[in-house]
Amino acid sequence: MTSNKHGQPSSPLKDRGHNLSPVICHLSWGSFQQLSYGMPKLLPLSRSFCWVFVLFFASTGLTFAGDQPSIQVERPWMRAVPNAMDVTAVYMTIVNNGATSARLVGGATGLAESVEPMVTTKEGQGLKQVVGMKKVDALEIPPHGKLVLEPNGNHLMVMGLKQHPKEGDQIDFTIKLEPGDQELHLKIPVSKTPVK
Amino acid sequence: MSVLLPKTDAAPPPARRRFFDWRAWVVAVTLLVAVGLSILLGARHQAQQAFFGMRLFPLKAAYDFELRGSDAQPVRLDQLHGKVVLFLFGFTHCANVCPTSLTNLAQVYQALRPEERKQIQVIFISVDPGRDNAQTLQEYTTSFDPSFVGLTGTKQAIDQTVQAYGGSYQFVPGSSGAANDYSVDHSAYAYLINRSGMLELLYDNEKLTNIDRMVGDIRAVLREQ
Repeated sequence: MTSNKHGQPSSPLKDRGHNLSPVICHLSWGSFQQLSYGMPKLLPLSRSFCWVFVLFFASTGLTFAGDQPSIQVERPWMRAVPNAMDVTAVYMTIVNNGATSARLVGGATGLAESVEPMVTTKEGQGLKQVVGMKKVDALEIPPHGKLVLEPNGNHLMVMGLKQHPKEGDQIDFTIKLEPGDQELHLKIPVSKTPVK
Repeated sequence: MSVLLPKTDAAPPPARRRFFDWRAWVVAVTLLVAVGLSILLGARHQAQQAFFGMRLFPLKAAYDFELRGSDAQPVRLDQLHGKVVLFLFGFTHCANVCPTSLTNLAQVYQALRPEERKQIQVIFISVDPGRDNAQTLQEYTTSFDPSFVGLTGTKQAIDQTVQAYGGSYQFVPGSSGAANDYSVDHSAYAYLINRSGMLELLYDNEKLTNIDRMVGDIRAVLREQ
């Protein structure tokens, strides 16, 4: 992490972008003066400029590490099923950028009667192994982590389908999160295969 | 001792060097043989492990099930002799694993060349005849690929089939308590029967997601006598 007084500063500093704040706080004053990437002659940085620098990164750190879970949904999709079926599943990755854990407790859509979080279960060994699913009260989204809902794994089961949207359609879908009875309203695509 | 010492000092070195040279050759040859053998054995091992699916050994004749097709007519496995048959157990109220496996099998099937497809039959066997009638099954299976066939039968015929393939299933009541609200935990393997009617390979539902390796296995099975 330290830079060489006679050569160029070590390059990892340059590439770390917004995650610099903890690093910078631990750097010595000497290394600060050398944050002039790749320049042969060092530009002297003023002490006050450095403090502005430190405060800026400290504040971005706070934004990301606030108390409330900060939720982001990636690649949501609902499986297209034939009219003969009255159930389907919704998959997505839910990212929690916050410092506290969040929980996916359910969902809702006008197309169906109910939506429930499910886990896939495996019981027994070898040929006798059976795969099933079990309703759970909630699926955890760990702090600074993610919950992956994917085929063969955890999913939101959509039950009592009243309409059967076709591949390529977009549907309104709500996911329910805790803490705070939050609802996230999404437009999600209908597809036969996972959305990339 | 003090007189003899210079003599013994002078004599041994050439002898020791010859001795060392001989040992070095033995070690070198032994190493070469060991490396050669391990490469050969490794290659043989790889050849045996070339299948992506779990290969049964020794192969045994696949149980000749007799179930009901979409037109309610009996369908026997033996009628498909000469084709490679891939079948799996499930039920149409299955929201996750069954449609995932059938979608994967449809992708495998569509990745094959037309002349290869003619030699393959994918079958979905419903272990839930109470809710899956012939028409439902037909609509369900053909939605994944028009060539796929759905079969079911009496509880007795289904149990015999599941047992013969070493599988298992059980009904799990739903939360509502209603009679038709239940889920089915079931074996999620796909069973591959070769053209001679022998049960040859098994795939769990995770393996079915690897389309390229599945296609590779099917082509290898089609090349067999």
